Amino acid sequence: MSRNAAQWLQQPKLPRSHFVDSRIYTDDTIFREEQEKIFNKSWVIACHESEIPSAFDYRTFHHPGGTPLIVVRGDDLQVRSFYNVCPHRGNTLLYDPVGNAKRITCIFHSWSFDTKGNCIDITREEQGFQKRFCKADAGLREVRTEIGFGGFLWVNLDDSACTLKEYIGDALNMLEDYMSMPLEVFHYHRAIVNTNYKLWHDTNSEFYHDYMHYFNRVTGMLQPGYFERKYTGYPNGHASVGSMTIRYDAYEGGKERGVGWPGLAPGGWILIDIFPAMTYNLRTSVLRMDTSIPLGPNKVLIEFRGLGLKSDTPEQRVERVRDHNTIWGPFGRNLHEDLLGVHGQGRAMHPGSEATWVLHGREENMTIHDEGGMRHFYAEWSRRMERQAYDPYAERQVSAVA
Amino acid sequence: MQPDRIAIEELVYRSCLALDEKDFKAYLDLCDEGFRYTIAAHSPEIRKDMIWLDHDKTGLQLLFTNLPRHISDHSPLTRHAIVYTVEYALEQKQANVVSALQVFKTSLDGGATELFAVGRYLDTVKIDGGPPRLLKRVVKLDTRQFGFGYHIPF
Repeated sequence: MSRNAAQWLQQPKLPRSHFVDSRIYTDDTIFREEQEKIFNKSWVIACHESEIPSAFDYRTFHHPGGTPLIVVRGDDLQVRSFYNVCPHRGNTLLYDPVGNAKRITCIFHSWSFDTKGNCIDITREEQGFQKRFCKADAGLREVRTEIGFGGFLWVNLDDSACTLKEYIGDALNMLEDYMSMPLEVFHYHRAIVNTNYKLWHDTNSEFYHDYMHYFNRVTGMLQPGYFERKYTGYPNGHASVGSMTIRYDAYEGGKERGVGWPGLAPGGWILIDIFPAMTYNLRTSVLRMDTSIPLGPNKVLIEFRGLGLKSDTPEQRVERVRDHNTIWGPFGRNLHEDLLGVHGQGRAMHPGSEATWVLHGREENMTIHDEGGMRHFYAEWSRRMERQAYDPYAERQVSAVA
Repeated sequence: MQPDRIAIEELVYRSCLALDEKDFKAYLDLCDEGFRYTIAAHSPEIRKDMIWLDHDKTGLQLLFTNLPRHISDHSPLTRHAIVYTVEYALEQKQANVVSALQVFKTSLDGGATELFAVGRYLDTVKIDGGPPRLLKRVVKLDTRQFGFGYHIPF
């Protein structure tokens, strides 16, 4: 039976933890607050150590809080991160996504900095500033940086934040053994989609949408063990999904994958979501890493990386690349469908659309089609935002349902 | 005897028309039995060449069989190629053909057209007396960002 306006707007008859107000995906006020309260205080992945292997290699990064960063390996091989902002007139210091810079020199007025963030040259310093301002006053803003959990380079803008180890806790334990050897990025691409970043993270946090993927239906959902996969929630909003065996040969033209991953059962698949917008996805022979950078309430830039072992032979690497791109490449079977799904959500949910509620209500003992992974995320989101996801402006008479 | 350049150009253009129409059989009919199809791009971000799709003729046929089983955006793509150079390797009975490629996407809802991708076709064409056939196609893409993307190869 269809519903009239009042019925449509009525609060879902589910516990308050099992639905959210769609304005958390569309309101600019909430988005700006998320940048401040969540992204500027969380550890986020900027890139991977294999992207800056040598001294003076750098990588630029658009931090999801909004600040542009430089991640650079110094001559001491230590990796440091700085605002990619000249302290003189606010210009961008490094424009290219990667490079090698012994000196970081602003194109505008040629102020220069070393890879430790020291200002080493202010052109015509004495003539312009006399003794009122000098190089010691013009260092770059350094950002806390740690390498860990598969060789990723993590940054945190909050100088008083906990350590990366404390932030992750036990959430990545399930992957620890598989990331003990050096890894290397072999694939990178990005997508900008008009949708909220949380909707992409939701997609990575629930498997009920396997109905959308023909590939996953035949290689996973129809196979033994699929419905036994369980979600586990961890402190700080992280969540994992247990492994199962994928039957790649069940897809016409597919075949079992030969190269595998050391220690992982053939066809194994482990997925771990890290709050607020990162996902480790180890599937048989490839580690995929998603990192989302929100650009607005209804716009997200998603970075996709594919990683193999640094020790891969050329033949092994070819297989990993093929395995990755068959499913997850820009022309792969699954990625496009996932992106289309969240694009559709972004298209339907916008201010004024009255797509009022989004349900996270499935309960199946925290197995694969349970929506507990998303509920776990929004509990942490609500805690950090000091807003309830089901009533972000504390204006509704939302009643509790047992 | 050097084959007619127009026949080679038509081969390239017919391959675009066939994919635009999603007439996969017509596309495969333009390909030699030893055909290899690759989509490649270079990522400055990780300083690496990437192979995004790599199929022989059988693999491409299977891909075309599977695609309708997947969910996809229904906005049509229009491939526009222009042949830049044709270099003959007559001893091998082949020609190496470089074409510029632009792909446009026209939205079903309203019909707005946007540039979707640019790149090049790097083709090896078999010229052994019959109609020229595609022996190898590398779609070398400059565009690496496709929004929510597309299933069907360029």
